[in-house]
Amino acid sequence: MLLALLAKDLRRTWRNPLPWLINLIVPLVMTALIGLVFGGNSGGGLGKIRFAVVNENNSRLSQFFRHAATSMTGENSSGIQLDPIFTNRVEAMRLINADQISAVLIIPTNFLHDYLLDSQPVSLQLIKNPAESVHPAVLEEGLGVIVTAMNALARNFQSEFPAWQSVIDGNGDGDYHQIAALVDRAGDKLKAAKNYIDPPLVIYTKETPEDETNQVVSTGGTAKSNSNNNIFAYLLIGLSAMFLLFLASNAMNDLYRELRQRTFERYQTLRDSLVPFLASKAMFTVVMLLLCGALMLGGGGLIFRIHWEHPLALMTLTLGYACFAAAFYAVLVALMPDERRSAVLSSLAGLGLGLVGGCAFPPQQLPAFLREHITRHLPSYWFADTMRDLQYGGTDVAWSLTLLKLVATSAVLLVLAAMLFRRKFKAGLRA
Amino acid sequence: MSLLKVAQLSKSFGAVRAVDSVSFEVHPGEIYGLLGPNGAGKTTSISMISGLLEPDAGEVFVAGASFWSNPQKAKSIMGVVPQELAIYEELSGRENLEFWGRMAGLSPSDAKARATELLEALMLADRAKDAVKNYSGGMKRRINLGCALLHRPKLLLLDEPTVGIDPQARLNILEFIRNLRATGTGILYTTHYLEEAESLCQRIGIIDHGRVLAEGTFAELQERLGGDRVFVLEADFKNSSPDAWNGFNQRFRVIQKTEKQLVVAAIGTRDPSDCLKELLNLPVHVENVTLKRPSLNDVFLQLTGRELRE
Repeated sequence: MLLALLAKDLRRTWRNPLPWLINLIVPLVMTALIGLVFGGNSGGGLGKIRFAVVNENNSRLSQFFRHAATSMTGENSSGIQLDPIFTNRVEAMRLINADQISAVLIIPTNFLHDYLLDSQPVSLQLIKNPAESVHPAVLEEGLGVIVTAMNALARNFQSEFPAWQSVIDGNGDGDYHQIAALVDRAGDKLKAAKNYIDPPLVIYTKETPEDETNQVVSTGGTAKSNSNNNIFAYLLIGLSAMFLLFLASNAMNDLYRELRQRTFERYQTLRDSLVPFLASKAMFTVVMLLLCGALMLGGGGLIFRIHWEHPLALMTLTLGYACFAAAFYAVLVALMPDERRSAVLSSLAGLGLGLVGGCAFPPQQLPAFLREHITRHLPSYWFADTMRDLQYGGTDVAWSLTLLKLVATSAVLLVLAAMLFRRKFKAGLRA
Repeated sequence: MSLLKVAQLSKSFGAVRAVDSVSFEVHPGEIYGLLGPNGAGKTTSISMISGLLEPDAGEVFVAGASFWSNPQKAKSIMGVVPQELAIYEELSGRENLEFWGRMAGLSPSDAKARATELLEALMLADRAKDAVKNYSGGMKRRINLGCALLHRPKLLLLDEPTVGIDPQARLNILEFIRNLRATGTGILYTTHYLEEAESLCQRIGIIDHGRVLAEGTFAELQERLGGDRVFVLEADFKNSSPDAWNGFNQRFRVIQKTEKQLVVAAIGTRDPSDCLKELLNLPVHVENVTLKRPSLNDVFLQLTGRELRE
C-alpha cells in the first residue's frame, strides 16, 4: 500500500512538475551564484588571485623576492592560488581600473634600504579593487602576515641588518666569510628562540566531539589534517541543511491539498490507521529531498571542486535528515491545519531550526545559552555538525549514531503527527 | 439483520447540536433516503457512521457489529461517497479508480480488473486515460462514485452525490444507483432533492436541525397528512382563521397557512368531491382550489412549518 501511495504522489508530481522543477532549480542556482560570487569556478578554494606588484625599490633582494614569487604561482596548501604580475605603477593602475586584477602592491623606492638601516619608518602600499570583495581582503590579510613577520625580524635582528645591507650592496662581490658568519649568528638566535616559537604558544585546532572544550592545544602531530581544506564544503553543508528543511516544508504542504480535496478524508473511510498515509507522504518528501540534496551537494561539489571525503556516509546522513525534515513538517501540518496561518509559521520554524542548529553560522559563534542548552539537541545540528566532522574530521566520526538518532526522531514525530491528525479529525477537522 | 443500524447518534460542535439522537436502519437491497435541507445534519451523520467523526453519544452497528469494536472490518464492508469530489484531478479516471482500489485492499491486478469493469458501468471507458481535471462535472461525479465501489461494498453511504450536475448526468447516476441496489447493496442516500428521494428511496427519514422528524415509506409519510391528497386553497386569509370556522379542525388538518394560501388535508376517508364542496362553503371568498397528491415537501411543511426549498 505504501508503494501505491508513493506512486500516486510521484505520478501527480510528474503530471504537474513545475513547482518541483522550480524547487530543484533553486538550490542549483543558489549554489552557482555563491560559486560565482566567490570565484569557485577557478579552483577548489578561493580560486586564482591576480594582483600587480609594483617594485619601485628595485634592489637585489627585491629581485630575489620577485623570482621567488614568480616561481610559486601555483596553488599553495591553503588552496589559494596567487598570480602576481610585476609591472610599473601606470600599467598596474590601468589593470585595476579595467577590473583585471584584485589589488596592486607597491614596494616604494628605498624600501629595503630604509627597513634594514632603520633610517626612517617604512611602508608597503596595497591598492584594493573596490569591485571585488574576497580576493583583495585575502591579499590584505596575507600582507598583514608578511608585515608582522618583518616586524618580528626587525625586533630580533636589527643589530645584524647593517651587515646584511652591506652584503646586499656588495654587487655580487660579497664576502662569503661575512655571509657565513651572519647566517651562523642568525642560527644561534633562532636556536635560542626555538623554545618560544616551536611549538607555537597558540594555535587553533578544530573542535572534535571528544574534545569540545575550547582549549588551546599544541599540535604535537595530532591535529586532524585534511587535504581537502575547502571552506565551501563547510558552507554548502549548512546551506543544504537549511534548504532541505525549506523543501521539506514545500513537499509536506501537499498534506494541505489532500485535506482541501478531501482525499485524506476519503482515505480514512477505507483505512483505520493514518500512519501509512503519512509515512508515504514522508517517503515522497524524502525522495524529492534526496534528489535536491544530490543536486545541491553533488552540483555544489562540482562547482567548488569539493572532494567529499565520505560520500556513502554523506548520502546516508542526508537520507536520515530528509526523514526527520519530512516528519517534522508532518507534525507542523497536524498542529496547524490552517494552511494560510501555517505558511509563515513553518517558514519561521525551518529558519529557526537552521539558524539555531548552526547551519548558517558555525555553532561556536552562537550565544552560549543556545550553544550549550538548545543547539546540541536539534537534529539540524546533529546533521550539519556530523557532516562537517566527516568532511574535515577524519574517519572516527560516529555518524551511524547520528543517523540512528535522526531516524528514531523521525519515527517518533511521524507517529505523533498521526495521533494529532486522528484527534483533530475526530473533533471535526475540515480544511 | 440490518446492514446498518444507527442508534441515538448525537454530535455537538460547541453550542450547536448538529445531530440529536438520530436513529435509523438500512437493510440489504434497500435505499434509505435521509432528506433534509442544508445544515440539517446529514453530512455529520454520515461522517460519524463512516468513522470520520467521533459521536458524542449513540452507537453505529455495521452488519450487526459495533463500528468501533473493529473499525477496519466495518470500513471494509462500506463504501463512502463524499459530497465533495475527493479525487486526484491530475490523475486519469483509471488511475484514480485503481489507486482507491489499492487503498481498499485490492491487489494491483484485481484493482485494474475492477477499474475496467467500473469504467464500463459508469460509461467512462472512452475517457479512462484522460486526466480527471479535463472531465465534465457529471463525469467527475461518476468517478467520485466509482472510487467507493472498487471493493464491492455491501453498504454504500452516498452524501448528496448529484449536487451541482446537469439533469442528464443526474439521471445516469440515479440509474447506476438503482442497479447497485438490485445487486443487494444497502444504500444510505442523503439529499435535499425531494424528487430524488421520492423516486429513488424505499424508505425516507426526514431530518431537520439534527433530528429525524419522521421516517417511513413515501406512502407512510403521505399517510401522516391524512391520505393521498391535499387541497390547496387560494384566497385572502389575512383576516380569517381556520380555528374560527365551525367544525373545520375536526374535518381538515391544516398543513400550511399564509395570507394568500391554505394547504389542508382531509381527516378520515371521505370522497374528494364532498371535501371540495365543504371547502368552497367556507366563510371566505375562495378564488381557486387545487387537488393534488401530497409531496415530501408537504410532509416537510407539515413537520417543520416551512418548505424544504427555503
